[in-house]
Amino acid sequence: MTPFRYSIFIVLIAAFAAVNPRAQSRSAPTFNQHLAPILYEYCAACHHPGGSAPFSLLTYQDAKKRGKLLTTVTQSRYMPPWLPEPGHREFADARRLSTAQIKLLQAWVDAGMPEGDAKHLPPAPQFNAGWQLGKPDLIVKMNERFTIPATGTDVFRNFVLPIPVEKTRFVKAVEILPGGSQKGIGQIVHHANILIDRTGAARRMDAQDAEPGFGGMEVSIASDSFDPDGHFLFWKPGTVPWVEPEGMAWRCDPGTDLVLNMHLQPSGKPETIHAEIGLYFTDTPQTIFPMLLQLEHDGKLDIPPGKKEFVITDELTLPTDVDVLGVYPHAHYLGQDLQGWAILPNGTRQNLIRITRWDLNWQAVYKYKQPVFLPKGSKVMMRFVYDNSAANPRNPHQPPQRVRAGNRSSEEMGHLWLQVLPRGKDDARPLLQEALMRRRLEKYPADYSAHFNLGAVLQAQEKHAEAITQFQQALQVQPNSFVALTNLGASLQALGQLSEARAAYQQAIQRKPDYANARYNLANLLLAQSRIDEAIPHLQAILQFQPSDAGTHNSLGSAYGMQGNRTKAEEHFQQAVRLQPDNADARTNLAFVLALQGKFDESIPHYEAALRLNPNNADAHNQFGVLLARKGRMKEAAEHFAQAVKLNPDDAGAQENLRKARALIK
Amino acid sequence: MLLTAALALVCTVAPGFFTTFAQVIDLSGNVVDPLKTEGNKAVVLVFVRTDCPISNRYALEVKRIAEKYAPDKIKVYLIYAGADETADAIQQHLRAYDYNLAALRDPNHQLVKTTGVKVTPEAAVFVQGKQVYRGRIDNRFVAFGKLRPAPTTRDLEQTLEAVSKGRTIMRRTTTAIGCFIS
Repeated sequence: MTPFRYSIFIVLIAAFAAVNPRAQSRSAPTFNQHLAPILYEYCAACHHPGGSAPFSLLTYQDAKKRGKLLTTVTQSRYMPPWLPEPGHREFADARRLSTAQIKLLQAWVDAGMPEGDAKHLPPAPQFNAGWQLGKPDLIVKMNERFTIPATGTDVFRNFVLPIPVEKTRFVKAVEILPGGSQKGIGQIVHHANILIDRTGAARRMDAQDAEPGFGGMEVSIASDSFDPDGHFLFWKPGTVPWVEPEGMAWRCDPGTDLVLNMHLQPSGKPETIHAEIGLYFTDTPQTIFPMLLQLEHDGKLDIPPGKKEFVITDELTLPTDVDVLGVYPHAHYLGQDLQGWAILPNGTRQNLIRITRWDLNWQAVYKYKQPVFLPKGSKVMMRFVYDNSAANPRNPHQPPQRVRAGNRSSEEMGHLWLQVLPRGKDDARPLLQEALMRRRLEKYPADYSAHFNLGAVLQAQEKHAEAITQFQQALQVQPNSFVALTNLGASLQALGQLSEARAAYQQAIQRKPDYANARYNLANLLLAQSRIDEAIPHLQAILQFQPSDAGTHNSLGSAYGMQGNRTKAEEHFQQAVRLQPDNADARTNLAFVLALQGKFDESIPHYEAALRLNPNNADAHNQFGVLLARKGRMKEAAEHFAQAVKLNPDDAGAQENLRKARALIK
Repeated sequence: MLLTAALALVCTVAPGFFTTFAQVIDLSGNVVDPLKTEGNKAVVLVFVRTDCPISNRYALEVKRIAEKYAPDKIKVYLIYAGADETADAIQQHLRAYDYNLAALRDPNHQLVKTTGVKVTPEAAVFVQGKQVYRGRIDNRFVAFGKLRPAPTTRDLEQTLEAVSKGRTIMRRTTTAIGCFIS
């Protein structure tokens, strides 16, 4: 018995040695010295206890358990997830392993995954459990929970979160806790985008069904005015939230909504999402205005079933010098090879991004390590390739079907977003917007929004005749657009075509009786023509549905003032100032009507405030001078008369006042 | 081959010393042989891990298949082969994913070796003690992170369909994508 057993143990030991060679050569990489630095830098941000990844990779035991997985997923470059090809541009926070690092992982596994000497182990990175940037200044939550089914395809859902601010704030950073206080929910949320909606459009989309939120992969918000945000608000697991540099915080007005667009992945059990967004404010207002430029060609997306290589392209010639700060390519499940670059006026090529193995799951915004300078005249190009064959396993249709552009995951998109910062001291964003819209009209000649937006940007540059042409073309496409009619009216009014302007406003009001802008513009036009009795009902109508509109209170106050009704005038100016303390016109009007009633002491602080807000108002200087003179403060009165004359040398009244005041001082 | 043969020999020679060495146990620690098929037309072993996102994503599909073929006396076991997974952690996992299937532990990989499975989730089907299928549940996963919106081939279900109908079973294996069993 004994010799027999002895021989078996020898066999056993030999077998174990063959299966699991523990023999470590001197040069074999160890966890402590070689693996840990790689795992800490490239993996741990998600793979830590409580992190967004399904398991931790912080300790030797964690790594040893998954040696084969580590080598497999790094060699296939599934992990760490990093889509941009090397050699096209360097990005901040790049998470791409070098070939040498991947070989090192394999060598460690081949050597039997030795732990190594503890003295070589670097300190493990530390992770906060909750908000990465500390406690936010304001936390907004989804008002309802949303449940993702246990199985099925990925869910793309948008949730509207109103921001309860009472005055304009500037937001320097946004952080998302996808599961709120729940842990591990980051595994469900693949990425999230935030849109800023100042129009209420997303609320209306949300109201279309009873479920929380609404579906769709990339939402666009139609805006009446040219009010670009210029910020990528993007979140993916394992990243520290982006903090905008000084002066680039974005404006958040009362009434602004955030639209949280989330890509959710079923986990095998139903999961409940109750996301929180943390906002970090700064007192430094926005002084640097980037802009998002979109290259796209969704109109060409009509991909026949079975087509293996379907290409779309777009290009945009830059009307001004810009620095490109970041890039965000977007396609759905058929996207394969996504490419963006620029050809400079001297013919040289600047690569912007190349992704040859597009994977929607790992889409991201990429910020450049160094901004990419593109001079005026550079041509920005995009080229996206799609595979609608059965050989594309991600194809949403089996067998393949004709696929066109759309917001659903079974449809396609082809967008290349660039965040650019125009150079130069003047605001060049209108020029860029104009170039974008002209390019859009080349692609889609009968596009309502391109005509409308081009009209709006021309109007902002006071090119009213050209703006009128664009608004008229927009109206040919959508004759009932009350917004286009109103803007048309405004440009006609600016050119002095008052009866045509009045007609345009009236048509807008016919189509949409509660459209405040049309009534407001019409009322002010009527006031300018002294048709006070006709103006007042429009202003009163606006206050029926927008009782807190400071501008309307101000206009209504003016109307009553023109009728000699000082009590009612004061009442509305007071309302306007209360609603909008920094409205210089309302302050001046209130000060004036108070002064007319002999309430000098009440009037003075409003003149002071008005002139602080707008020191260039010659009339206000003159009026305030009169008031100060009446109070016997002749020296100060003279100073204001002098300002009034300086600002408006043709004002004979102010000149006379100044002369009298100076005479009295002597 | 040599190793397994040797171990079997050792067990007979020195019982007590190796009692828990290469055995399949239930969550209370009782030794179980799931391949004894008395009363069952077939036995299905589905290898899973508590923290494998791929096997977790299949939870509903595994439950669906188990329920569908339960009336045909096809018995489905969940096999947890991670030596690091405690009975408590497994209990929690069963509750979280609402599994009402028998769960066994195979910490020393006796079933892993017998079946030849490499990853979780991976299934093995035994009819009258003989393995007729080993491999993926379906072809939804093509590679890590690369999956079809829905499977186009449901391999496990096809096998069980044949078993339940009493058709001749072709022995076959497929390659599964999942978390490596180590």
